[in-house]
Amino acid sequence: MLPLVSLTLFLPLVGAVLILCLPKPATRTVHVIAIITAALTLIGALSMWFQGASGAGFSQVEELQWIPAIGAAYRVGVDGISLPLVLLSAVLFLVAVIYTSSLRERPRAYIALVLLLETASIGTFTALDGILFYVFFEVSLVSMYFMIAGWGHEDRQRAALMFFIYTLLGSLPLLLAILGLYLGSPEPTFDMRAWIENPPLEGAAAMWALIAMLITFAVKIPAVPLHTWLPAAHVQAPTVGSVILAGVMLKFGTYGLVRFALQMTPDAFREAGVVVLVLGVVSALYGAFAALAQSDLKRLVAYTSVNHMGYVIVGVAVAAITLDPSVRTVALDGAVLQMFSHGLVTGALFLLVGMIQDRAHTREMGELGGLLKTVPMLGWTFVLAAFASLGLPGLAHFPAEFQIFLATLSASPAAVVVILGIAIIAGTFLKALRETFLGEPRQRWQSMPDLSAREWLAVGPLLVLTVGTGVAPSWVLGIIHRTTSALAL
Amino acid sequence: MSAVLLPIMPPLIAAMALLVLRRGSTALVLGGATLSLGGSLWLLTRVAGGQAETLLLPGLPDMPLRMVAGPLEALLTVAVATVGTFVLIYAVGYMKRESGLCRFYAVMSLFLAAMQALVLSGDWVLLLAAWELIGLCSYLLIGFWFQRPEAADAAGRAFLYTRSADLGLYVAVFMLIGSAGTGEIAASLEAGGSASTAAGLLLLLAAMGKSAQVPLQDWLMRAMAGPTPVSALLHSATLVAAGAILLIRSAPLLTPEVLLVVGLVGGVTTVAAGVIALAERDLKRLLAASTASQYGLMLVAVGAGVPLAALMHLLAHAAIKSTLFLAAGDFQHARGGTGFDQLEGVGRDRPWTFAGFALAALALAGIPPLSGFFSKDAVIAAALSAQGAAWLGPLALAGTLLTGGYMARALCLLWRGSGETRPVAGSAWMRVGIWGLAVPATILGLAFGPIEAVLDLPAVTAGTLAVLLGLLAAACGLGLGWLVPAPRLLGPVYPWARRGLSVGGGLTVWVGRPAMAVARGCERLEGRLYEAVLSLGRAGLFLASAGERAERGLFKIVLCVGRVSLRVATYVRFGDERRIDGLIFALVAAVRALGARARNLQSGLIHHSLAISAVAIAVTLAVLLFASSTSF
Repeated sequence: MLPLVSLTLFLPLVGAVLILCLPKPATRTVHVIAIITAALTLIGALSMWFQGASGAGFSQVEELQWIPAIGAAYRVGVDGISLPLVLLSAVLFLVAVIYTSSLRERPRAYIALVLLLETASIGTFTALDGILFYVFFEVSLVSMYFMIAGWGHEDRQRAALMFFIYTLLGSLPLLLAILGLYLGSPEPTFDMRAWIENPPLEGAAAMWALIAMLITFAVKIPAVPLHTWLPAAHVQAPTVGSVILAGVMLKFGTYGLVRFALQMTPDAFREAGVVVLVLGVVSALYGAFAALAQSDLKRLVAYTSVNHMGYVIVGVAVAAITLDPSVRTVALDGAVLQMFSHGLVTGALFLLVGMIQDRAHTREMGELGGLLKTVPMLGWTFVLAAFASLGLPGLAHFPAEFQIFLATLSASPAAVVVILGIAIIAGTFLKALRETFLGEPRQRWQSMPDLSAREWLAVGPLLVLTVGTGVAPSWVLGIIHRTTSALAL
Repeated sequence: MSAVLLPIMPPLIAAMALLVLRRGSTALVLGGATLSLGGSLWLLTRVAGGQAETLLLPGLPDMPLRMVAGPLEALLTVAVATVGTFVLIYAVGYMKRESGLCRFYAVMSLFLAAMQALVLSGDWVLLLAAWELIGLCSYLLIGFWFQRPEAADAAGRAFLYTRSADLGLYVAVFMLIGSAGTGEIAASLEAGGSASTAAGLLLLLAAMGKSAQVPLQDWLMRAMAGPTPVSALLHSATLVAAGAILLIRSAPLLTPEVLLVVGLVGGVTTVAAGVIALAERDLKRLLAASTASQYGLMLVAVGAGVPLAALMHLLAHAAIKSTLFLAAGDFQHARGGTGFDQLEGVGRDRPWTFAGFALAALALAGIPPLSGFFSKDAVIAAALSAQGAAWLGPLALAGTLLTGGYMARALCLLWRGSGETRPVAGSAWMRVGIWGLAVPATILGLAFGPIEAVLDLPAVTAGTLAVLLGLLAAACGLGLGWLVPAPRLLGPVYPWARRGLSVGGGLTVWVGRPAMAVARGCERLEGRLYEAVLSLGRAGLFLASAGERAERGLFKIVLCVGRVSLRVATYVRFGDERRIDGLIFALVAAVRALGARARNLQSGLIHHSLAISAVAIAVTLAVLLFASSTSF
């Protein structure tokens, strides 16, 4: 049988190497190779999806000796928590390279970085070895740094540096935690499956490891108050950078929160659960209010990410706190689906904001206005994405948020105040729509072209998936639920 | 296909087809609505015997979506489909000169489908979904002319008001599912328990938002910026009706305390909105305020413990109010506006429309034998027999009085005076729509007996006292409204009523401004946090460069040591000690290698140095952690 996971994982890297090895390729060639590579990766991810994941433990595991002396090996595999994220990454990277196919400025290096980032992202979600996970986690960081620093907007150097310092210093504690888990294991191993099976640390050691992980993941998610790199990085990042950053890379944090913090130090997490819950509630509400105050469309979307990821934190914390397995399943179902939905919806929103910026060279809502009349297709797709983001039923966020809130009320009723966030986010998007799209069309934007075929191809699939996930969430939830309901914590 | 889907699927398919074809096809939209009406009627005949139809659809894990059609639900689908069909027939004429018809028809069809789904939903998830979808549809419809600033504002306001109130529904639903362990509405209502008071109040909050009850009434008046058929649909059988329907359906859950609150909210609204309506100078806005007032009466009936009376009034009001709005739209096209100064004497110029309007107005006022007489009587009887009759009775009667007052005033203003009437395009379609609804508004009273028989709900027979008081209030209202001008009638309250009875600027000031203030506070905090982190980063960079200087120094020392040892070596060679010689050379080679390594480290890249220092810290900490973990 084909090693599907490894093939999917390294295909983009092969594409990147190919692009770098070709002597002076034409820009067109580079983009064609990129799109083919990303499409093949998506096919790989889809085959993984149809292979599916059995309920308990990991499926499609592939293993190779690496550093036997310390028990580190190349181990990859998936379960119902990582599989949706792998699919999401493959989809987002494909639409990203499609969108970016108009790039003329140093496309070779840029595309190579994007493809390297794809390998790193899929690697982070599929790695079953502590060291391997850490390597992928860090490689993604480096490629994103260069994307922002090399192709970003006006103030990119500072934003890139901020991003780098933040997440690098942030990821050190994770390394410590990984070492702690390694040293605490009865037979030293970096096998994450063993760590999940028998959590190696207990007592104060487990608590320290949990704190270390929480710092790393809180930076990555990002949770208030460690989130300040996010708006800066998003505003300066090129459109595709933002799409990947919000759509895929933020999930490293929440994925790690489930995979490491919840599964490897469950008892410590249960003790500290209330703190994490408060962190999530504060993040969600703060992100919502901060979004309401924005006048820059891209910053606004960035802050709604803080809000939506706050809900994920709440879901995971509730899963940790509750003693009722059925509530835990609902909370985790919601949290994982929320990661998936957020990738689709926010990916679409960042693409659309990028399209507006390409045309108008501004993201200030006050300067835009009346765009629904000027560019109806772009306008209506934005309306759809905005309503998806504010959690309208029938669109991707609703089933996820519904489950998170439902579990929250059962486990810790006070935390349900977080639901205020959905009213504030509604206000935020209504205001944004009002200022940007409704009202009299302006003379200044009369000649603005509507969506091109390339842009349709980029944003269309995300919207179709958004509606599909909202109307029939069971196609994703089925696979998530099988794993979360078999989870023994 | 299950019969339950029959009312929903035709408009849903029509909406999709319209969007796919991208053409405003009259046949599609009318076909969808009529088939929905046919399906609803068929459903009603099937379930009239009492056995409910149910259907399970895949939803969330362990929480399937459930549709239930009992007699009550089937009856409501018929009402929704009837109003929807005639409003759409009317809209074909009304919208004749508009562009963007594809969008208009598609959203109207979707609206109809969502409302039918709301009525038929048998579990909370589906109800919540449909509840929010009708909110979206009304946003899109109120904002149909989105280029006009007032329409854009009104759309946003309507969605935000209702969505904020919807938080009540969300939390109530979570509580009910949590305590009953199932999402099924019927089962969770029976479960009740300790949470039922809180859940009941939260449901009331949601209903207040949708049904525009005080203090959440403001959005409804502004929503008049949308096309008139939208107002007709919104006010009679869809968005606004959803609130009352929610309370009627969840009546078994409501505890006596909650019932009293429901009744009082309704009573206060019926009077306050009635006063606002009386002071209004615009026909459509008058009708909007009247809607809030009439839903207030329905809440009074629910609060009195007689949801059947509320249902009767809901049905009668659906036919009446849609007739009134459709007629108002006809006047609007004839005179180019809905202000009363523009509409003077339009009734004489458009007698057929005015006849429909007058019939509906008298029905709303409660004049026998029109439909409103029976339903209003039921409400008043319920209020007089309730536990809180001392409060609810007078409020319900005052609401009736005011209804007579503002309807008579409207009739008077439309009949007297004169103005220039333009020919109305699409008049035939519009007339069919108006009269299609005016007929049920007139004769619906005949159906109340059979409806009562089919439904399994407690009823209150109206005593002579209730009938007399109701008639007296209606007649007084009509007389006063016709004879006395509104400013004189309302006296000192008039200027306040013109401002919509808002207290200190209304919700915008009480909720909107604090929210924006918090948001701006967060934004300021963001700036400070950002600066703080940036200076931290700068400090880190400074440390790193200091580290680099230290490293350079170290490199120099190593070189120096190398040179010294070279010298030593030379010296030793003079001593001709071969073994020491070899040792020293090995040492020198090692030091040289170290020096070269150190040069590699010193790449000058900031993140490189950072990475090195970070790894060093990590290793140190790891050793420490290991030491401490072994000692635990």
